[in-house]
Amino acid sequence: MITAQVLAVLIFVAMFLLIITEKIERQYVTLGCGLLTLLLVFGIGLHSMSAVIETLNVRNIFTLDFWYQAGESSESSSGINWATIIFIAGMMVMVEGMARAGFFRWLCMRIAKLVHYQTVPIFITFMIMSFVLAMFIDSITVILFLAAVTVELARLLEFNPVPMILAEIFCANLGGSATMCGDPPNIIIGTSLGYSFADFVLNTGLIAGISLIAVLLFFYFAFRKELKTGSGKQVDISKLPDPKSAITDKTGFIISTVIFLCAVVLLVTHAMTGLTVAFIGLFIALVTLITSGKHAVEVLKKVDYKTLLFFIGLFVVVGGLEQTGILELVAGFIGKVSGGNAMLMIAIIIWISALASAFIDNIPFAATMIPVIKTLAAAQGIPLETLAWALSMGTDIGGSATPIGASANVVGTSVAAKAGHPIGWGEYCKKVVPATLLVLLISTVMIFVRYL
Amino acid sequence: MEKQLIISVSREYGSGGHYIAAQLAERFGLPLYDHNLLDEIAKEKGMNIERLSKYDERAKKPLFSRNVRGFSSSPEEVIAEIQFEYLREKAKAGESFVVVGRCSESILQEYNGLIPIFILGDMQDRIKRIEQVRDFSEQEAKDAIARHDRNRKSYHNYHCDIKWGDSRHYDLCINSSRLGVDKTADFIEQYIRGWQQREQDR
Repeated sequence: MITAQVLAVLIFVAMFLLIITEKIERQYVTLGCGLLTLLLVFGIGLHSMSAVIETLNVRNIFTLDFWYQAGESSESSSGINWATIIFIAGMMVMVEGMARAGFFRWLCMRIAKLVHYQTVPIFITFMIMSFVLAMFIDSITVILFLAAVTVELARLLEFNPVPMILAEIFCANLGGSATMCGDPPNIIIGTSLGYSFADFVLNTGLIAGISLIAVLLFFYFAFRKELKTGSGKQVDISKLPDPKSAITDKTGFIISTVIFLCAVVLLVTHAMTGLTVAFIGLFIALVTLITSGKHAVEVLKKVDYKTLLFFIGLFVVVGGLEQTGILELVAGFIGKVSGGNAMLMIAIIIWISALASAFIDNIPFAATMIPVIKTLAAAQGIPLETLAWALSMGTDIGGSATPIGASANVVGTSVAAKAGHPIGWGEYCKKVVPATLLVLLISTVMIFVRYL
Repeated sequence: MEKQLIISVSREYGSGGHYIAAQLAERFGLPLYDHNLLDEIAKEKGMNIERLSKYDERAKKPLFSRNVRGFSSSPEEVIAEIQFEYLREKAKAGESFVVVGRCSESILQEYNGLIPIFILGDMQDRIKRIEQVRDFSEQEAKDAIARHDRNRKSYHNYHCDIKWGDSRHYDLCINSSRLGVDKTADFIEQYIRGWQQREQDR
């Protein structure tokens, strides 16, 4: 057992280091490390075929429960979380369909027009839009379009786009924390621990909603001077691009909007209908592909397969830690450090998750922490839900703190730099860390007050 | 029509490479792209030059940056890519120019008219040159040389498959200390004119 444990930890650490150094593409890192886990940890270390089967988890896909759950959901947390992978793949297909038709650009331009292209109202509405869209769509897509339109408007209206992009990034990560499908850690937490969309909305959603109000006020007061337009001259609104010009395919636009609304309805009601997120992901993907007609191949080609492969390898490596009991040891350590004090345990989970997620990818971190909080809940008698919300808020919000903490930050700062507005670590952290601390504080207090 | 000529001058800090590049640009009547490349890009695309220039020819900080779906969080990397793209566009449009550094010997290697040159120098001469040009003490000059060479090397080697200063990838690797910077420029000019003549005769 000791050999298997040592091997599992070594592979896990090597995987993390290789992901950070970016010498090898991250999907090859996790798949390679996953293969090593299967061979060395399960094969040589544990001599256990059942551990391999349990970690690969393929059988799970062929059960009715995977697609439809009439009663309480109880997803297995061990091994590859296929529900997460299928759901993310489905949403990627849907989002590609929407992007192809020009939905996101149209939405941004439309809202800017609605507020008569005034900087402060654009700033506020774009933050809210970023939050709301990221509740349902991956934050990379949200920021990709929002930041691009922000840069374009900044050039036309002559304002500095950096504060606006930073606020949008923050709100995308905050919006992602509000729902089960907003951010990958939440999808993993939800599917692994059997929570519904409504569970997230009523818990992390409420915290995120209140935090949004605080963040809107914070960013407004922090950035209001920087948002002033450069020359103060009047811009001829009629010369600005018409939102309709963003729509590249009218029929595709209407269809993709309807599909998006269907996805939202299916997700919001999935606890009532019994349809799992895996089913919703597959269904939405199939409908998008069928309605895309001749563009279906183009949409499929744009799906980010690398991320899906990254997830598969990652789950296997984390499965190695789980099967060898390493994560139970970690849980035991956290339990010991906190001396069984629930408040301290929650604070540790939120703040350590936040600190870790600020520097490393929050997806592997969340995947690793799920078995830990499960063990902690069982051993220390704290409701699992409470720890799950703490983990969710910590990983989702902590990711905002640095330019590399979350995917949206990388994409947003990159779009800004490409447009001639590079954002260094100093500037980024100076503006975003206070907001991150504010939301983490709100989350901690709300979890303490509500659940303890 | 005159054949396209792109002179790429890579250089050790203090070797006089930049001066030689400027001389060549003047003698061949070509525009010189150095740090002014960013000025030009900023002017053309309405960007703020002050924000851009501090990331010019800087290596990406590996542990402090991440890539997501082809997007990089490193301003150094993005600014470098903007410059590479600009140079590629110029070369593709058939323009002739002299470019200092910026991985130009690698990113423009597909162009037949590219003459990649690497200028080096003896350490004592480089120190003396930096002392004079920058009004530095000897130690300050030494430190600056070490720092700039390290930056240039890591910047170059991050973006290119070939190694900075590896003689196999340059037409000429020349020590400016042997002839002095002006005579070195003469020598390179002669080499390039010889090449042009040969191309014309073909």
